[in-house]
Amino acid sequence: MMFGDTAFSGCEASDQLTTETTESTEKKIMFRKILVANRGEIALRIMRTCREMAIATVAVYSEADRRALHALEADEAIPIGPAEPAASYLNIERIIAAAHETGAEAIHPGYGFLAENAAFAERCQAEGIVFIGPPAGVIRDLGDKVVARRIMQKGGVPVIPGMTEEAADPAAWADQAEAVGYPVLIKAAAGGGGKGMRVVERPQDLVDACREASREAAAAFGSGAVYMEKFLARARHVEVQILADTRGNVIHLFERECSIQRRHQKIIEETPSPALTPALREAMGEAAVAAGRAAGYVNAGTVEFILEPEGKFYFLEVNTRLQVEHPITEMTTGVDLVRHQIEIAAGRPLTLSQADLAARGHAIECRIYAEDPEQNFFPSPGKIVFLHEPSGPGVRNDCGVYAGFEVPVDYDPILSKLVVHAETRDQAIRRMIRALESYAVLGVRTSIGFLIDVLASRPFADGETTTDFIPTHFADWKPGAGRRDLAVIAAAADAMAPRARAAINGAAVQAVHSGPFQTLGHWRL
Amino acid sequence: MEYRFKNHDDILALNVESDGPASFHATIGEQRYAVVHRRISDCQILLTVDGRQVMAFVADTPEGKAVVVEGRTWLLEDAAASLARRRGARRDGPKQVSPPMPAVVTKLLVAEGDPVEKGQGVVVVSAMKMDTTLVAPFDGVVTRINVAEGDKVTPQQVLVDIAPAENEADASPA
Repeated sequence: MMFGDTAFSGCEASDQLTTETTESTEKKIMFRKILVANRGEIALRIMRTCREMAIATVAVYSEADRRALHALEADEAIPIGPAEPAASYLNIERIIAAAHETGAEAIHPGYGFLAENAAFAERCQAEGIVFIGPPAGVIRDLGDKVVARRIMQKGGVPVIPGMTEEAADPAAWADQAEAVGYPVLIKAAAGGGGKGMRVVERPQDLVDACREASREAAAAFGSGAVYMEKFLARARHVEVQILADTRGNVIHLFERECSIQRRHQKIIEETPSPALTPALREAMGEAAVAAGRAAGYVNAGTVEFILEPEGKFYFLEVNTRLQVEHPITEMTTGVDLVRHQIEIAAGRPLTLSQADLAARGHAIECRIYAEDPEQNFFPSPGKIVFLHEPSGPGVRNDCGVYAGFEVPVDYDPILSKLVVHAETRDQAIRRMIRALESYAVLGVRTSIGFLIDVLASRPFADGETTTDFIPTHFADWKPGAGRRDLAVIAAAADAMAPRARAAINGAAVQAVHSGPFQTLGHWRL
Repeated sequence: MEYRFKNHDDILALNVESDGPASFHATIGEQRYAVVHRRISDCQILLTVDGRQVMAFVADTPEGKAVVVEGRTWLLEDAAASLARRRGARRDGPKQVSPPMPAVVTKLLVAEGDPVEKGQGVVVVSAMKMDTTLVAPFDGVVTRINVAEGDKVTPQQVLVDIAPAENEADASPA
């Protein structure tokens, strides 16, 4: 794989480049074409920065995504297989083949799918394709929670009291649990998202919990290895964004608070965290940079911490990818993280120093899922009959769908990420409520009504955003009858006022703003 | 003229007194509203209710009218049509333990012979990377479990048979 006159093979080559080239040549070397190995809103978001950098984009799409927005907006789109992720978006062979076929010099993996797959990163390197992310070895190390803990301990980053030695003997576990202090948390070493996790309050439950957690972990991640930490109730999940180049420069871009979660899925994120003092912010930023250095990190990453009410914080894990909630950091810092990812991957030194960075105002993100809040948030796939996206000052909607698109059942049902930015937290909350109230989606159910209630609630306004927020305040949420009269009046008016053409489910599609079919120039499937 | 809509188990009656092609008075319960309406597009109607403008988004779906007002979605079925549907299709729909979409059984929460209450969790299924718990549609006893953990299931399948407790089966539709 060549670009310019230089064979490019990831991080090692960049050192050779800088010794041989001048400043101006260095500035000129950049990928000509990038393949985005992902789908939906994140694939679109990445491609938009590529377009701004005059880099050609290649989309890959499964059969379920033949008419997906990311496949329609790319310069080239390559089909990679059936709907099921294992056969398409996780299919390394097909993706590598697509890169070769189109001459893509680099691959951006987005989040999820192959983003944290060390084998994929290695394969890219072997094929002469640049993987836009950290080196495979770093992904591998940090992907193992036990190894990651050890690296952090060595690097002087505070870790949760616990046990990293893998002990097959339940008696050893019992001793350690006593030393750490109940309640303890059993966690999977190979993955997260709540799988392979058990809280143990009593010593007599320890053995069963370990066994169950291990079984669940093996099923979810292919490895039953588990480890133990002290369980910190009423804790906050605070994460810090870092960027690191190939020259050893590591900077942080402040924190994000991700405490509004449901079943271990983040649904609302914000920055800055209402819980951080300036001193704590600085300390956590420094700890995140130390974590990056300890791991030999390159490219964009996120260091997750758990923050106790007393102000003590501990390392949780490093997410070796661009995260879903990265836009809130972009809003407050004015930084395009994807642009920096691409530049770092192309071997350039960081153009930002810690002193250059400042965060202004407050940003909030809500993930908008196609799910039914009245059916326990069960996914609600189907055809989007109508879509009216929010807009206005300080509103960013990273949306992967359009009116007429059939939301597939095979993937995470995320429709968009709605992000707002305002001068203060209170203004940001009001802006988000305003944006959510103007967001209309017909054809699938969404969580928008639930999100409005969460944001308008007193606990949220007070910043009581600990990880048990939803079970504590919104466990049995049901939509209020508040605007029901208006809805009934609307239904009656709709029945009275004839439409121009009949609208049977999916047969007619209406967009307030023109959809991609009207605004796109050249595109091909 | 009266409209009757059903939203979940609630019947919502609306009495309309027309006073022009685009305006009417609506009475819902104790409340009376002055309404002017104007269709903006196939899915958009601009309402002026007691002088205040509100944009409503409405689309017909097989389950009824989906209405979005100020970010909240309501599914309003025509009450008469809904009654007819339930009379004609007693065994189908929400009266059995079936997944709403193709899914995988992740956990069985009951065993054969267990008594269950309406709303009690019976089986956990996973779809689109999310777990959800299917519940007993009425009080009764689990007579048969038709699936095992790990099975792929579809909306047509009844995952768990529950014999209704006495008098449940004769309850007339709301």
